[in-house]
Amino acid sequence: MIESVSASIMAPTGPRRLSLGWESAHRPSPSGRVVFVSDLSPRPRLVMPLAEHVAGYGRLPSGLTMRMALDTLRASNLTGRGGAGFPFWKKLQAVATAESRKSPVVIANGSESEPLSKKDTLLLKNNPHLVLDGISMIAGLLGAKSAYLYVKDREAHTAVNAAMRERRERGISELRVTVVEAPAGYVSGQETAVVRRIAKGPALPQFSLDRISTSGVRGAPTLLSNVETFAQVAIVLRFGADWYRQGGQGSDRGTRLLTLVGAVGRPGVYELLPGATLAELLREADAGDPRAVLVGGYFGRWVDLGTPNSTNFPMDDQTLAERKLSFGAGILGVVGHDTCPVVEAAAITEYLAGQSAGQCGPCMHGLPEISTAMARIALSSDVERGMHDLRAVIPLVEHRGGCQHPDGVIQLVRSTVGAFAEEVKLHRSGRCTARGSHTSVLLPPGATVAAGAVVR
Amino acid sequence: MRLVIDPTRCHGHGTCAQLLDEYIRLDKWHYPIVGKQKVSAGHADLLMRASQLCPELAISIVDD
Repeated sequence: MIESVSASIMAPTGPRRLSLGWESAHRPSPSGRVVFVSDLSPRPRLVMPLAEHVAGYGRLPSGLTMRMALDTLRASNLTGRGGAGFPFWKKLQAVATAESRKSPVVIANGSESEPLSKKDTLLLKNNPHLVLDGISMIAGLLGAKSAYLYVKDREAHTAVNAAMRERRERGISELRVTVVEAPAGYVSGQETAVVRRIAKGPALPQFSLDRISTSGVRGAPTLLSNVETFAQVAIVLRFGADWYRQGGQGSDRGTRLLTLVGAVGRPGVYELLPGATLAELLREADAGDPRAVLVGGYFGRWVDLGTPNSTNFPMDDQTLAERKLSFGAGILGVVGHDTCPVVEAAAITEYLAGQSAGQCGPCMHGLPEISTAMARIALSSDVERGMHDLRAVIPLVEHRGGCQHPDGVIQLVRSTVGAFAEEVKLHRSGRCTARGSHTSVLLPPGATVAAGAVVR
Repeated sequence: MRLVIDPTRCHGHGTCAQLLDEYIRLDKWHYPIVGKQKVSAGHADLLMRASQLCPELAISIVDD
């Protein structure tokens, strides 16, 4: 760890945003709560040197006990930033208390297998030291013998290696982090796929009666979390739960990274400060008059802006939960009035059906059927039959996969036919509200699907 | 006792459903759907056989 100076969690002054290196280049929105950080191809322009990193964030606290860390993380309400949104302190406690003769393993997941997401790559490219701080602290607290960083992006890989070299040259004594390359594919970032890959197996989900917190990499208790979560841990354990949650002045407290894509003038990675509303974010992204927003990524849920549904709500875990939404993988997909959200969802469903690992029967056979049903509804070819097939097939697929993939697709499908029931009704009579060029805006770049081809 | 099927291993041979038709039915793709009820002690031998005869060794027996 970085030199010890204090046995308590201290709160030095200094910039505390995750995207720190970019602050000088990008001013926050007029409300001061939304910061445009980068466009969708983040370049490592401002990788922060270690000295500057320490000057900005302060040194890592030393003398931190597991009890203190758990209490602080619990009070901070920090949840995982990879998709499941599980309270981080519970995860840490599960690994810390696992009964095992093997020493724990720590994994930071930076594979960012959601193809629209760019926030993790940005973080690794621009602020790798903050992620490494988090890994170092958690590995130290757990007495882990090995720690891994699972990364797909090449430039992120390079940035992380450079940061680790810097830490070694500065003589920081900490557990050496092994960087493991994540292969392409949507399911390669699934928890058990990561665990398998780290143990030199294929990056495919695997079934187990045990949770990875008790038996993960080669049977060792394993803590796996998203890279942004580790960066947040490094901040929370430095500045304390009160500061993170509510303390400090105005906007000076914990933040969150989001990737905003789709029909907006300024797609990119944004850093949300506490209190930032969806309306502010959409305004900052130059979204104009959007039709709908898919919150959480491909496994997310829709907000239909076509109904008198206010966007004036703060983007925090609790408010989203009250609206049956969740940040998921930290992606917001905006659809305008040119395309139909049901068609968009059908295209995504088809893409996701093609991303099945093909290991589990219900996923392998069921997702293509769900996708066909969605296409019938989206393209008004036979809405009745499409709806009927969804009702018949979904129960045969739900909760029957070895990973979250099929259930994630079902969540998207349910949200689509629920949020856009009126649109589906229109489709029954062969009509559709889309009024533009029908170019799909939420498919990953380069993906081709049949439903998408129709709208392209 | 309960049986748990590893869905990533199961290839839908259906042997388990033949032996344990009170507990397992097959979906339209011939993959097993395991009922919620526990396997009675009287069927322990059948359960063991199903586990051993599964060509993919996808069946685990859980005591709880």
